[in-house]
Amino acid sequence: MKDVLLITLKGIFRDRIFQGIMALAGLIVFIPSAASLSMRQVTELSITLSLSTISFIMLLLSVFLGATSMWKDIERRYTFSVVSLPISRTSYVFGKFFGIALFLVLTAFVLGCAAMISIKVSSMGYPPARPVEWGLIMAAIVFDAFKYILLVGVAMLLSAVSTSFFLPVFGTVSIFLVGTITQQVYDYLHTPASEKVVSAIVKNAALVLYYLLPNLQSFDLKVYAIYSIKPSLGGVLTTFCYGGIYTAVLLLASSLLFGRREMK
Amino acid sequence: MTSSVRPFILFIVSLLLYAAVMVPFTRHMKHKPVEEKLGYIPEASTFQYLCADQKTFISSALLMKVIMYFGGLTDKQFEKTVAAIPDYRGMSNIIHTALKLDPYNMDGYYFAQSFLTWEVKQYAIANKLLEYGMKYRTWDWYLPFFAGFNYSYFLKDYGKAAEFYKRAGELSGQELHFSLAGRYMQESGQTELAIAYLTMMAQGEKNQAVKKNYQIRLKAFKEVSRIEKARDAYRASRGQLPVTLETLIGKGLIAPAPVDPYGGTFYLEPDGKVSTTSKFAFGGRK
Amino acid sequence: MSNGVALDIQGLSKQFKGKRGLRVEALCGLTMQVPQGEVFGFLGPNGAGKSTTIKCLMGLIAPTAGSATIIGETIGSVESRMKVGFLPENPAFYDYLSAEEYLQFVGRTFRMPDDLLARRVEESLRLLELSDARKRPIRSYSKGMVQRVGLAQTMIHDPELYILDEPMSGLDPIGRALVKDIILDLKKRGKTVFFSTHITDDVEKVCDRVGVIVKGRLMALDRVETIMRSGIEGYVVQTKAGIGNHTALASFGLIRSSEVFREYSVPAGRFNEFTALVSHHALEITLIETKRKDLEAFFLEIVENVAR
Repeated sequence: MKDVLLITLKGIFRDRIFQGIMALAGLIVFIPSAASLSMRQVTELSITLSLSTISFIMLLLSVFLGATSMWKDIERRYTFSVVSLPISRTSYVFGKFFGIALFLVLTAFVLGCAAMISIKVSSMGYPPARPVEWGLIMAAIVFDAFKYILLVGVAMLLSAVSTSFFLPVFGTVSIFLVGTITQQVYDYLHTPASEKVVSAIVKNAALVLYYLLPNLQSFDLKVYAIYSIKPSLGGVLTTFCYGGIYTAVLLLASSLLFGRREMK
Repeated sequence: MTSSVRPFILFIVSLLLYAAVMVPFTRHMKHKPVEEKLGYIPEASTFQYLCADQKTFISSALLMKVIMYFGGLTDKQFEKTVAAIPDYRGMSNIIHTALKLDPYNMDGYYFAQSFLTWEVKQYAIANKLLEYGMKYRTWDWYLPFFAGFNYSYFLKDYGKAAEFYKRAGELSGQELHFSLAGRYMQESGQTELAIAYLTMMAQGEKNQAVKKNYQIRLKAFKEVSRIEKARDAYRASRGQLPVTLETLIGKGLIAPAPVDPYGGTFYLEPDGKVSTTSKFAFGGRK
Repeated sequence: MSNGVALDIQGLSKQFKGKRGLRVEALCGLTMQVPQGEVFGFLGPNGAGKSTTIKCLMGLIAPTAGSATIIGETIGSVESRMKVGFLPENPAFYDYLSAEEYLQFVGRTFRMPDDLLARRVEESLRLLELSDARKRPIRSYSKGMVQRVGLAQTMIHDPELYILDEPMSGLDPIGRALVKDIILDLKKRGKTVFFSTHITDDVEKVCDRVGVIVKGRLMALDRVETIMRSGIEGYVVQTKAGIGNHTALASFGLIRSSEVFREYSVPAGRFNEFTALVSHHALEITLIETKRKDLEAFFLEIVENVAR
């Protein structure tokens, strides 16, 4: 698994997608000047912009790397030479996954450091109403990375069964979008207002989806970091466990499906 | 003409066409009526589903759009190129949407307060928004301070005003807010109250357009205060209210003569209240 | 235990689900063994099931029935692949890596110690004439170079068994000669080589045994030597003109005659009769040439029989 991981990591660093997306990271340099446009919350705006940029970059990376990594191996016939080596299919899938996950962690770390410098610059010029909670900013970035690592798991699962590039890419994007709103739909379904509009069948179907699809909203700690609000520790820990277990399920399912896949 | 030259010529022609179309295109975008530029934003209840995990960013972006729009318009007002009234309704809608996406965003409350009260006179909407914000920004004394001002100055609900000033005082620890809860709670002190409020707002403001807006209003209120003082001096010595502003100027009670920065003319109402033909707004003279 | 058997295939079958639910039988009950130290040629036309067999052996696809072991290890397991050097058909390798990096990656998957791996990488690159290009990404290689990287990665861990799928396809004559040399060298070192091809010439030159597969069925399995011998149809014999009594040989077909010699066509079964007549009638043989079907004719005959 370690060997596949290292090879995957090397591949990402030599990939043009990576280089293109990382050019986006240059935007972080402009954050302090953009944030100074705010009326009353320059530092808060610089945190917003930093976290949004990091989040967006990681979304692109997780979708493109997660969805194309295995697909490219199959499409370019690398699987024949790699899967026939004395490594199990499970190690192959896990190696691919952890290679991308490690890469996302590195990205989050590098971008996080750059962002914190940007935020520091902003906060020196315009001191915020409440002191910046650096720990919360780091937590927000870590959980964002965690969320996108889970999304890579989704992409791996879809690539394990798909023969084309479309299902993994568009499927991952769709699951990402849906994953960020399932909680809102769930909350809405439990309001009295919804009872009149939504039939029981639709409601139950929605509830099944709620438990099946990943809930990505709870990984979003941006608001807490921006406004220096303490999130509940219990909630954060639950989210951490939820993310870990959900990702493990995705990975095991991916390796089971990929293990049965025929390399024709 | 050889076949290798033809695509090259076509490319040059297409570049020339592009240059030609850019001139009217840029002119069109530049002279597009300002109202159109604010654009339409869907209802927050549906819009939020499209924002994924970028709600705080989109909220900031929406507010930025409104602030830029307002800033551009204010510049034009100063240059007297356009006398158009900003699309306050549109601005209010976008700010409400933005605050639904990110109920913590201070810029939204701050900016809404700056125009919903003086310009549009929608005090109830402004206060409702402030109270919504207080549920989230529990540490922020500005929101109750704004609400207190709105209640005392515009709505004359001194009981409510005192309540909010007290809350602002508790959050800020500033004596001023506690004392505000008791002071100026009568009609005669209104202008002073407004001057105190506007001075504070103008000082803390970073956005040049908004700051300028406050400063102009502050200038107008300082003029009103001068007229009121002259009026009171006249009444004290004559025992009756002056009929016109010109009387005060003629008597040398107020010099130099007051100037309305909004371009209107000050006058005295029959009950002695100071008014202006501009109604304290650009384009107020119809 | 392997008992000296490198490859043991028992009733291996593979059906593919084709379009509209049709089942396509790609491989049907293949049973054969390859002893250790043998070079085995797996001969068949395109689409005969050669690649299907090899993919089953390497665990790339799962057989629908039957079983096989590689040096005693059941196919599909990591252990079975540990013992093989495998070259896929028209191979492709991570093209962002250089040949050196790729070989190191392969070696590590075989859990080779670092110092041994470094030495073996060096040797394989030299053997396959890739030393100059070792640092360049595989992306920049020619097709022949990629094929050589493919061979290098089969030998990096010095396995007992080599499974090569069409190792000579897409190579120029120099490349083909190199691959043949390598196979012969492996044989000399006691390694087992199982390779598929559709070119009979390759088999004739290097193989000990050959299996012919057509439409998923093994049609022939024999030693190359035996096939070559059984293919002998007769002899062309020249005798010296002017010596002895040539009329005794009148029952044999005379191909041509000159003042120096006479040339007869002798069927395989009558060769002894011919030599007896020669010695009896004081004739003198100057030249004997065997007249036989080659492997290609043998192969084509099988394919045509199946087609009929």
